[in-house]
Amino acid sequence: MSTVMKIENLQAKIGDKDILKGLNLELEPGKVHAIMGPNGAGKSTLSKALVGHYDVEVTGGDITYKGKSIRDMEAEERALEGIFLSFQHPVEIPGVNNAYFLRTALNAKRKHEGKEELNAAEFLRLMRDHLEMLGMKSDMISRSLNEGFSGGEKKRNEILQMLILEPEVIILDEIDSGLDIDALRAVSEGINKMKDGKRSFLVITHYSRILDYIEPDYIHVLKEGKIIKTAGPELVGELEEHGYDSIEEEK
Amino acid sequence: MKLSDLKDMKVEALLSALNVKGREALAERFVTLGLPSKKSETYRYFDAETLFEKEYKTLDYLPKTIAESEKIIITDGVVTAAPKGLRIYTESCEQIDMEHFDPLYYLGHLLSPQVIKIEVDGDVELDLEHRFTQSETLISYRIVLYNQSNRHATLYENFVADAIKNSLVLYGYDMHIAQDSTLNVVKLQTMQSQQYNMVASNRVNVAKQANALLKSFDLGGEQGLQILKVDLDTRAHVEAGHLLYLNQDAKRGTVSQIIHKGEHSTSKQEAKNILDGKARGIFDALIRVEHAAKYTKAQQNSKAILLDEKAYMVSKPQLEIYIDELEASHGSTTGQLDEKQLFYLQSRGISYVEARKMLVIAFANTLIETVKDARHQERIKEAFEAVFYAAHQ
Ligand SMILES: Nc1ncnc2c1ncn2[C@@H]1O[C@H](COP(=O)(O)OP(=O)(O)OP(=O)(O)O)[C@@H](O)[C@H]1O
Ligand SMILES: [Mg+2]
Repeated sequence: MSTVMKIENLQAKIGDKDILKGLNLELEPGKVHAIMGPNGAGKSTLSKALVGHYDVEVTGGDITYKGKSIRDMEAEERALEGIFLSFQHPVEIPGVNNAYFLRTALNAKRKHEGKEELNAAEFLRLMRDHLEMLGMKSDMISRSLNEGFSGGEKKRNEILQMLILEPEVIILDEIDSGLDIDALRAVSEGINKMKDGKRSFLVITHYSRILDYIEPDYIHVLKEGKIIKTAGPELVGELEEHGYDSIEEEK
Repeated sequence: MKLSDLKDMKVEALLSALNVKGREALAERFVTLGLPSKKSETYRYFDAETLFEKEYKTLDYLPKTIAESEKIIITDGVVTAAPKGLRIYTESCEQIDMEHFDPLYYLGHLLSPQVIKIEVDGDVELDLEHRFTQSETLISYRIVLYNQSNRHATLYENFVADAIKNSLVLYGYDMHIAQDSTLNVVKLQTMQSQQYNMVASNRVNVAKQANALLKSFDLGGEQGLQILKVDLDTRAHVEAGHLLYLNQDAKRGTVSQIIHKGEHSTSKQEAKNILDGKARGIFDALIRVEHAAKYTKAQQNSKAILLDEKAYMVSKPQLEIYIDELEASHGSTTGQLDEKQLFYLQSRGISYVEARKMLVIAFANTLIETVKDARHQERIKEAFEAVFYAAHQ
């Protein structure tokens, strides 16, 4: 089995509170890994640790990406190397134009990869199809980044960024929460479009709904800062029926 | 000359030191207010002494032939170019405000008995460039500006300096904004490399139903103070916006008094201050509502972002009110860039410097966007980026 990202015995805290307590997980290329687990288990903390968020202090263990440790890598560097997190709560940034932001991010990546930067017109052309697929109104890219966006619009905007940046490891933290049926379908379509047999997905969710659309390969249960069980998609039904208390930690 | 020599001089001695005749009343005002020092109300945060203790060369300000040009160019205090047909003269100033709070307003008039007078015709847009070419020189001049009733004129001001060192510029306006007119003044000024320091002392008289839109974009380092006294007649309106983006050991800002004299006059003053390095920003702004100014609306706000722990903002919005029938609000905040926003941008591969720049521009945007002309708006953003990158590379 090959691995694109390997999380070994990861321990992390936020403030004084230990949250991840020896977490192990390997992401395989081309696979969709779903993480489920109770509120407060540490799912968002894990996703933040993977992208180098300042809230999270990694106190032990390691994260390797394509064979190299990224534990001490800056957030922007991780992004440029192809790690992407869709935030559970994307922030609003008044005064920063969404299109300008997206183009700056894309051009930073292209520059990093030694490619030509795109001008405004080229960029808008690239954007048009994505917007349509995601059911986003074109005024959403001329507005300030996430400012006054509804919950669903923010999530679509996260997916838009993913489509544009074409990352290799895609972490989606509750991308499905607060979405109506149409938005869920649009967002899932966006995700499925990115599946190319090489990219890996880490999908954090509380609901089986989205998993019906994006068909995970593995289900991991995260509880009290550890992955306590890994199984195939059939585990979802079991969890829905019996809850997390029924899961015993696998040794 | 050394301005500190004027300290504590009596009227006669002052007039003879400055070699002016028959301006006793102005000299009287200057003597009463005193040469700026740390103890003067207006200059308490500015450190004027350092500037006044230096020895400066002086200039003659003899009128020159005025070349035809798209913009007005004032070189070392003398008009050297102007658009064809523009009414621009050098003459003595008739209307001097005898109630100004700034001693340098009077010193300016004493140093410049001849002022540059511009009569703005109709609905025009004018560019005015100030050029400085002399080192270690006191460059002193004053501009008197008149516009026409029922007209809407705009003046874009900017500043260019040669590779000079350590000059001191004292300049300023007497603006007379005619009844039912609008005058929009947009000032963009980058100061750097110890070229010059500046005090601009202005007086703006806004007649009935007239609008004064005064926007300043002050960037870079050095010492610079913009002093503003605005008098509002009945239903007159002033909208003042001040952007500061300072770095190194800059000491710059605005000291202002907006005085509501007439009923239903309105004022809106907004300062956005971004301070980097060891810079000190100043926003010391008084709004005074006089007895006669019933039904006034006054709004004042200052926001500062400190990009460095050594940076410092002096923010003193003040309201002085003598009546009840009015609406007034003021506020002031100082903070840092939002970490969450910064991280969000970085998590998309945008560098720390670029992310900071984006957030800082976003903060400044509400002011930059009040400049409606796209070309000038772009110029402000470019000047801003140039200063920002120079400090962060
Ligand atoms: N900034 C913070 N300061 C203090 N405690 C925090 C902070 N962020 C998270 N925590 C705590 O860390 C624990 C794990 O939080 P985390 O957000 O990772 O949970 P989660 O599994 O994502 O939960 P949910 O399903 O509700 O999103 C919680 O107890 C939470 O209160
Ligand atoms: Mg969470």
